[in-house]
Amino acid sequence: MQEYKKIFITKEEIRPTAQRMRDANVHLAMIHGFINDDGKPNVSYEYEVGPTIESYTVDGESVLPTISDIYDLGAEWPERELQELMEIRFEGLDNDERLFMPDTMFEGQGHIMVTPMKELIDKVHNRKEGTE
Amino acid sequence: MSYIVPIGPYHPALEEPVHARLYTDGESITDAKVFIGYNHRGIEKLATQKNFIQTLVLVERVCGICSHSHALCYALALEQIAGMKVPKRGEYIRVIIAELERLHSHYLWLGIALHLIGHDSLFMHSWDDREAIMDILEELTGNRVNYGAVTVGGARRDITDDQRKDILEMLDKIEKSNIALRDILLADKTVALRTQGVGILTTEDAYRIGAVGPQARASNVPVDVRKDAPYSSYDDFDFDIAVWPSCDVFARVVVRVLENVESIKIIRQALENLPKGPINLGTRIPKIPAGETMFRHEAPRGQLCYKVVTDGGETNKRVSIHVPTFKNAPTVPVMLRNNSVADAGLIIASIDPCFSCMDR
Repeated sequence: MQEYKKIFITKEEIRPTAQRMRDANVHLAMIHGFINDDGKPNVSYEYEVGPTIESYTVDGESVLPTISDIYDLGAEWPERELQELMEIRFEGLDNDERLFMPDTMFEGQGHIMVTPMKELIDKVHNRKEGTE
Repeated sequence: MSYIVPIGPYHPALEEPVHARLYTDGESITDAKVFIGYNHRGIEKLATQKNFIQTLVLVERVCGICSHSHALCYALALEQIAGMKVPKRGEYIRVIIAELERLHSHYLWLGIALHLIGHDSLFMHSWDDREAIMDILEELTGNRVNYGAVTVGGARRDITDDQRKDILEMLDKIEKSNIALRDILLADKTVALRTQGVGILTTEDAYRIGAVGPQARASNVPVDVRKDAPYSSYDDFDFDIAVWPSCDVFARVVVRVLENVESIKIIRQALENLPKGPINLGTRIPKIPAGETMFRHEAPRGQLCYKVVTDGGETNKRVSIHVPTFKNAPTVPVMLRNNSVADAGLIIASIDPCFSCMDR
């Protein structure tokens, strides 16, 4: 039977945890994120350890280190998704293009109502600087 | 000469909208990018405003092909939070519908792949078999898709003795033709020319990117949630994980045909050993305590994940859905590199993409 185990970690523990899991050949099932009632983000790294999901959760941090260099595209896509859908930024993520619909189509024509990726990132960055 | 070849978001060769950019050097693809999101319907947000039974109806509509998988995975997540024990007969009925869904999904994909390969007689043969499965699903649930077969705490509809006989008859029919289909596919020159050595995803790349489902198994990675983390009585059944070592489009065709054999085996065992007793814990709106979990289900395209958070109220606090296409789509640029533009459609289709699932 499947089990679920939640473990709170700090943002500094994200990369060592990911590296430990990668070294043990553990599959990263997904990175989930949502916004708490107090408006702060909650990001969970869900690792499949046998039949158990070990959910390493970081609470209240809007800027997190990327693990896309450890888990490759398996982490890059979920990080890009979170970066676009919520006010969360992944430092070191080597891809600043949108995943959900590109900023621009050809010959400079863009999708209407699509916020460019740079504006999204600046928004998180400014919010962080404003609160600190 | 270098070109950027755009595909989509709306293109006659695509069943659903997606945008891809192929970077080419003459006929050869040097790189590719994929952009998603054209089918985003805000289903996760909507789920936070619905009660648990309404959400079952909602999540079934994430996808037309694997609708049962979505409802099942969501129900399993809620049952885990609430600590519910689903009656055995209910679990077996859920498995039967899930495997019938896998069969019709694989036959659908085989038909599309064979059409793209240019083998239209096999395409029609494959879809003729699929139609028999769709008829059975309609007989069991009243619908060809969106079956409404799952409720929180079990199954919504029982299987009668007459229906049991009809399913077994249908299985006899498609089992014979599936063997014929397998033999033709393994020996056919047209299929071999279009698929062997095309769209390679090495075992190392499949591990590295985290591919799931038939896409991973066709790269010789033996992963299957039904075996690795059994649920809903899957550990009661004797079946094998179908893998194939050639890592190309051919392997993805073969793996799905072999998986059909395993699904038929599972359905037969479930029907022969169908336990007596209730099929669910009642049909009232369930009371779910505060909690959270992430549940995995082996959908036809691979591992489906539902993360559900509840606060003890009548609605979901949070539902996050991640589908196999989201894990497999990043493999597409890797598979496209060094292939010709003419094979791009077939290679993209070989992951059995579902963009309405991926975009939610």
